Amino acid sequence: MDIIVCIKRVAQTAEADVKIDSSGKDIVKDRLTFDMNESDTYALEEAILLKEKFGGTLTAVSLGTVQAEDTLRIALAKGADSAIRIKAEDFEGLDGYKTAQLLKAAIKDLKFDVVFTGCIATDDYYSQVGVTLAELLGVPHATLVTKIDIQDTKAQVHRELEGGLIEHLDMTLPALFTIQTGINEPRYASLIAIRRAAKKEIKVIGASEIEPTGIQANASLEELFTPPAGKRAEILSGSMDEISAKVAGIIKEKGLI
Amino acid sequence: MNEIFALVEHRQGIIRDITYELLSCGRKLAEKGNTKLTAVILGHNTDNFVQILKGQAHRLLVVDNEVYEDFNSEVYQTALTEIIKRQNPVLTLISHSAFGVDLCPALAAQLGMPFTTDCLDVELAEQKLKVTRQIYDGKLNAKVLLRENAGYMITLRSGCFPAGESSLDGVVEKIDTPVSAQPDYRKFIEYIEAAVGEVDITKSDVLVSVGRGVKEKAYLSIIEDFAETIGGVVGCSRPVVDAGWLPKDRQIGSSGKTVKPKLYIALGISGAFQHIIGMKGADTIIAVNKDPNAPIFSEADYGIVDDLFKVVPVLKTKILEMKQAKG
Amino acid sequence: MNFDLTNDQKMLQDQVKKFADSVLAPVAPDIDKSGEFPWDNIKKMAELGLLGIIIPEEYGGAGFDYISLAIAIEEISRACASTGVIVAVNNSLAGYPIMQFGNEEQKKKYLPLLCKGEKLGAFGLTEPNAGSDVAAMETTARLDGDHYILNGTKRFITNAGEAGIYMVFAYTNKELKHKGMSTFIVERDTPGFSLGKHEDLMGIRATANCELIFEDVKIPRENLLGKEGEGFKMCMNTLDVSRIDIGAQAVGIAQSALDESIKYSKERKTFGQPICNFQMVQSMLAEMATEIQAARMLVYYAGHCKNKGMTRFSKEAAMAKYYASSISVDVARKAVQIHGGYGYTKDYPIERIYRDAKILELYEGTNEIQKIIIARELTR
Repeated sequence: MDIIVCIKRVAQTAEADVKIDSSGKDIVKDRLTFDMNESDTYALEEAILLKEKFGGTLTAVSLGTVQAEDTLRIALAKGADSAIRIKAEDFEGLDGYKTAQLLKAAIKDLKFDVVFTGCIATDDYYSQVGVTLAELLGVPHATLVTKIDIQDTKAQVHRELEGGLIEHLDMTLPALFTIQTGINEPRYASLIAIRRAAKKEIKVIGASEIEPTGIQANASLEELFTPPAGKRAEILSGSMDEISAKVAGIIKEKGLI
Repeated sequence: MNEIFALVEHRQGIIRDITYELLSCGRKLAEKGNTKLTAVILGHNTDNFVQILKGQAHRLLVVDNEVYEDFNSEVYQTALTEIIKRQNPVLTLISHSAFGVDLCPALAAQLGMPFTTDCLDVELAEQKLKVTRQIYDGKLNAKVLLRENAGYMITLRSGCFPAGESSLDGVVEKIDTPVSAQPDYRKFIEYIEAAVGEVDITKSDVLVSVGRGVKEKAYLSIIEDFAETIGGVVGCSRPVVDAGWLPKDRQIGSSGKTVKPKLYIALGISGAFQHIIGMKGADTIIAVNKDPNAPIFSEADYGIVDDLFKVVPVLKTKILEMKQAKG
Repeated sequence: MNFDLTNDQKMLQDQVKKFADSVLAPVAPDIDKSGEFPWDNIKKMAELGLLGIIIPEEYGGAGFDYISLAIAIEEISRACASTGVIVAVNNSLAGYPIMQFGNEEQKKKYLPLLCKGEKLGAFGLTEPNAGSDVAAMETTARLDGDHYILNGTKRFITNAGEAGIYMVFAYTNKELKHKGMSTFIVERDTPGFSLGKHEDLMGIRATANCELIFEDVKIPRENLLGKEGEGFKMCMNTLDVSRIDIGAQAVGIAQSALDESIKYSKERKTFGQPICNFQMVQSMLAEMATEIQAARMLVYYAGHCKNKGMTRFSKEAAMAKYYASSISVDVARKAVQIHGGYGYTKDYPIERIYRDAKILELYEGTNEIQKIIIARELTR
């Protein structure tokens, strides 16, 4: 089974202060940590599990700057056989659509049975790239996947819908799946695998390899701004004792206890 | 300006709430652009849908076939490609849901139409489309201009366009289905209901909900103990389930349960919109979070900016004292 | 001169950090309280290769260098000081001497067991009456046919209660003093070998620290490491390596104290503002961060000396151990100060960090011994 997994290195913003930089179009990045996008780590793990089960090849692809090679190397250490970086610095105005087109250009000549992506990137929140890529590659897709069971060229797929409902699909490979978090338990790379991966070459392709004709973005960023404060909670202040007394009072007032 | 399309989302025979939000957004845009809104219904036994939605749009475009009974993005994509090519709407609105994210990018890409996803606000003027999206875990908003085109497609986030009253008398137009069978490569088989756990969090009047801030599984006992003190049960946001600390049936949010308790205490939950969707119906919301800028404080009635592990023990003591005084 | 980590070091740091944060840190408060040896996590670390970081692949290890060893031990110790020393001992005090001085049979027999965590290693040097004064050791080994007969008691032995392979130092000829000392590989189930008192320690409480009691223990001759009389030399050489580890452990513990302090000082408000705005607190944070970075550089440098193949780097190793452990205790003390009264409660991790740090100045040669080593090298 030949597998491709697309991963992205993103700023870790869930628990960080995010500030807009002086250009107004980007964020201040120097104090943020960067790492593999959360759902991509699950996509990678799913790809490795599949490869361990069926054998074959696993290629990790990332569109990013040179630092993305660190992320790709982790993918190599965890179990990918080869890695490709598409030079983000060669292309401007990257949105989901343009990203998908570049990924397609990078992998169109590779053999594959399955392509994995994460279901959403926590930086741009698109949920576009996987599905668009499937369309460009001309293969069926399923998003928000929480279970895949493959036999020969058939895949039984579970998608996660709202309210905890699961949709069961019967699909044929080749196909693309965007993976939801929680589908598996992503591993840590072993030290030996790390040492081997450190020596592996990462293939780098850029504007000289990817013909830019026809590759355009759908959207361009006009401005970034802090979300307007909506209704604000009444922030309780005072000593912990006072605050707790207030909360207890509120609970009592509502007749809940 | 050409018409605006809103795609009706339904599941298990019921129109999903987000549909009314799409229609509400569509009507506003149509009014501003001096054009009309068409509700596009792909479904089976659609008479009921038509009845319900007749007042919500200027026109109802109905394609009735059993192939649409359950959602299959491949089927929808093939059908909608045909329909949109023929009718050339200026904008097609789709929900940003498990339905919409599976459909929109592929459909728009096939049509060569500029698209974007998860929009909170939409401006359409002089054939230009500008949307507001939320990025970086909901911490910033981005205003985005789409590449100018005759037609656009976007998905809308639920909760951003309140469903409004409308008394239009939509013209119903039925068209033949361009598709009559599911393709071999992707077939809908069934829905699987979430397993019922030992605790039904939707039935409790008091919910104590934990997020990433609980840090580790071992600390859950402190939370459970506290919940018991105040007569509630423990729910959680997604990261807690992903980490395997609580079962899926405790998850509150778009991919978990929707709850409407009398009291909701959010401990260490930042308030991603996926979570907010599941709990905003609570009567009283108290949030505890260390980050004063956490989005949860925009939803809560009362907020405490502090470490949940400092708050919980003191609060528990206070409530015990109160209960004893009463008893 | 290059201060950048190599690709494999960066990856090792990334993965060990993540593992430590999500697997080790959560149990650190519990095992501190209970003293329970973290076997589950040790097994997980064995799978990742963390029990044989510096051991060559052919013996089941990961084949990393000594700076990598320091990086890994720092990250583990940052999350859990007990786990940090358990792993350090297995790597440097058991794995290293067998790798360095053992014959092929010994390496083949014992190193894979240590690397896989099937048997953990311990280092039996200290005795009730012989700590800094190693020569005061009373344990003896007498050759009797194909066996040595071992008698004596070892005290304060990390991992002792849970280990399977013990490096034990004993006199084979007391009259020769240092030159009469030898090293033996002793297996746990050898008749006559028993565990004594389990120490109820102030910090690093989950390290199964016990007494070893040897009563006419028959050790097969093939379990002599190197030659008779080489024990002291091996011991000193091994301690040089292990001081890289202890330095790294110190840096990790100090880093956790600083991380907690930064977090706390941004959250805690007095006089209407976060305490990190106050210059007294800023001064402490600045000192702590600077000292930690200086210590880390000394530790890496000691690792670099070993990587280069320097046979003796006692001065560099002693400097790293001495400085890193001193500042670690001081950084932890300042961290408690920044936390104020809360830092003195078990509601915050900082009191545990403070207790854990103190051992660093005592074991693997007290800091007084380190200074003697450094001074002797300077005046030689």
